[in-house]
Amino acid sequence: MIQARQPNRLLSMRGALPSMQELVLIVLLLGLCGMAYHLSPDFLGPRAQIMLSTHVWELALLALPMTLIILTGGIDLSIGSTMALSAVVFGLCFKAHLPIGAGISLALLVGAVAGALNGIFVAYVKVHPLIVTLATLAAYRGVAEGISLGQPVSGFPDAFTQLSLGTVGPVPIPAVIFAVAIVIIGLVMARTPVGLWLSAIGYNETAAEFSGIAVRRIKLLLYTASGLMASMAGLLFVARRNTAKADIGTGMELAVITAVVLGGSSIFGGRGRLFGTMLGILLIHEMREFLSWQWNRDEITLVVIGVLLILSVLMDSLLSAKKR
Amino acid sequence: MTTATKTQPMTKPLAASNFVALFRRREYGVLALLLITLFSVGAVNPAFLAAGNLRDILVAATPAIIVGCGLTFVVLMGEIDISMGASMGVLATVMGQLTSPAHAHLPVAEGIALTLALGSLIGLTNGLLVAYGRMPSIIVTLGMMTILQGVNVILMNGHWITDMPPGLRWFGLGRVIGIPVSLWIAALVVIASIILARDTPLGRRIYASGSNPSAAALTGLPVRSLKLFVFTLTGLLTAVATVVSVPLLSVIEPGVGSGFELLAVTCVVVGGTSISGGKGTIAGTLLAALLLSVVRPTLVFLKLGPSASYWERAIQGAFILAAVLLDHVARSHRRKADA
Repeated sequence: MIQARQPNRLLSMRGALPSMQELVLIVLLLGLCGMAYHLSPDFLGPRAQIMLSTHVWELALLALPMTLIILTGGIDLSIGSTMALSAVVFGLCFKAHLPIGAGISLALLVGAVAGALNGIFVAYVKVHPLIVTLATLAAYRGVAEGISLGQPVSGFPDAFTQLSLGTVGPVPIPAVIFAVAIVIIGLVMARTPVGLWLSAIGYNETAAEFSGIAVRRIKLLLYTASGLMASMAGLLFVARRNTAKADIGTGMELAVITAVVLGGSSIFGGRGRLFGTMLGILLIHEMREFLSWQWNRDEITLVVIGVLLILSVLMDSLLSAKKR
Repeated sequence: MTTATKTQPMTKPLAASNFVALFRRREYGVLALLLITLFSVGAVNPAFLAAGNLRDILVAATPAIIVGCGLTFVVLMGEIDISMGASMGVLATVMGQLTSPAHAHLPVAEGIALTLALGSLIGLTNGLLVAYGRMPSIIVTLGMMTILQGVNVILMNGHWITDMPPGLRWFGLGRVIGIPVSLWIAALVVIASIILARDTPLGRRIYASGSNPSAAALTGLPVRSLKLFVFTLTGLLTAVATVVSVPLLSVIEPGVGSGFELLAVTCVVVGGTSISGGKGTIAGTLLAALLLSVVRPTLVFLKLGPSASYWERAIQGAFILAAVLLDHVARSHRRKADA
């Protein structure tokens, strides 16, 4: 797991130009659009795209904090389980006839606490994030299964399911939530030193600490934000399916990490940006939707994504080996 | 993974003297937790300690034990493999399709030989990409996992395999001298792995390369070949685990093996193997696998009602956090003692 770090990339990541990997993703995306335009022009229409987009918002929301966490050299494997835990908490609140608003607040609170617990273990107890979140991956889903006894809760009122199915004009509400989130995070990353701090932590944590960056507090905040976002995604999922059960979000963590790494983030931290992650998610999403739209075979997407992931990182490692 | 850049001190001289050092740490804590669980549940309900029940607990733990042995070597090298679950799914499908009368209907021995070969091939591919492609193993195996998940759905094509031949069933249900076949095989794997880790030059080289890869490379150790070896071994052992555990299922469906990678990683980590390499034992992994698989029968035998078993994973997670916290406390104690 050792890789030479190239400090010059620290500067280039803040540049406006797309990186090599992002260019490859853009080309692939254009190729896919070209093929779709040729085979089935309807697919690219706004109506089809909006309809098909319902599946992607949870993944996109989760990828925002994950990109930042991976940028610091960390990882959060517990997000799928946190989704389930929040969903179940919301479901139980609903079953206990609490008002919807109270249920939502409680679910978000539980998500934030779950994330903060990860953060405390990572930042203050200083356990490797892979181990901490592997433990809480089991623990949070276990608690979700335990408190719900594996039973689903459904039959939520329309007012709640509108959270996922409703629209503002033509735009689905989850898209609005996502837009707000990415604008805030994007501005913070671009206009404040936070982005630089995060990649500094990813490059060399000790050096970052000595140069006065509040490493531990930043990490605690990041993991808390990740938990909060996971519970938001969990609620959107419940609203979309109109059922809250302890098995939702299984495997979500690996799908999100795949998108982030495909977008050009280094798994060792220090390099990565939201733009690349968004391209990664867009490519995965469009490919899956198109394959199932055209041939009803979305399992091929998995194979293609896996191959792309390996090839993109392999290319990167071979190129950087040559430069050395 | 970030800590990988900090070079770890070599784990003392490579001789019999560090036998104690290797067995001193986490293993004892896990062993104590396991024994306390066994005896306290046994005190409440003596049927828990009946031979038949203990055998069932062991059988349930075999896949994690077998794959855990291989994965321990991978983690000792400072790498990781998360493709085992998806790999197990594909291997189960292939094994079923090769041997079932409704599909290829090959002789069972041939089917198993091909399954083992395919498992090794998957591991070899991981190893090649990590060792010679210089890629982070978590990405390689994440990609491999994704590919294999897709391949499994394509291979299975919606047809579950329901007619495993009796010859194949024997690997799950058969007994030799009253002991299930799977336990014999698991015991063999564990003993071979312990010998490999402790008593062979190959094993010692794995420890050495894991604790300080650049020093190991400078000393002339074939770090790349070692990586290739540990990944191939894990692939092979995943196939072995498939052969002994899948015949116990009534059908082979696309969900076989899902989540197994995280269980195996958990066993290795709870067993005290350091995620940054160079430190850990097979015994630790074995004990952790037993500890995690004892949770479910414990909940059943304590007669807490049918709802209790839903807490299994929460308790497993708590065990992991407890092990991690204990480690932290022990470490800060040692640091204070040193100061």
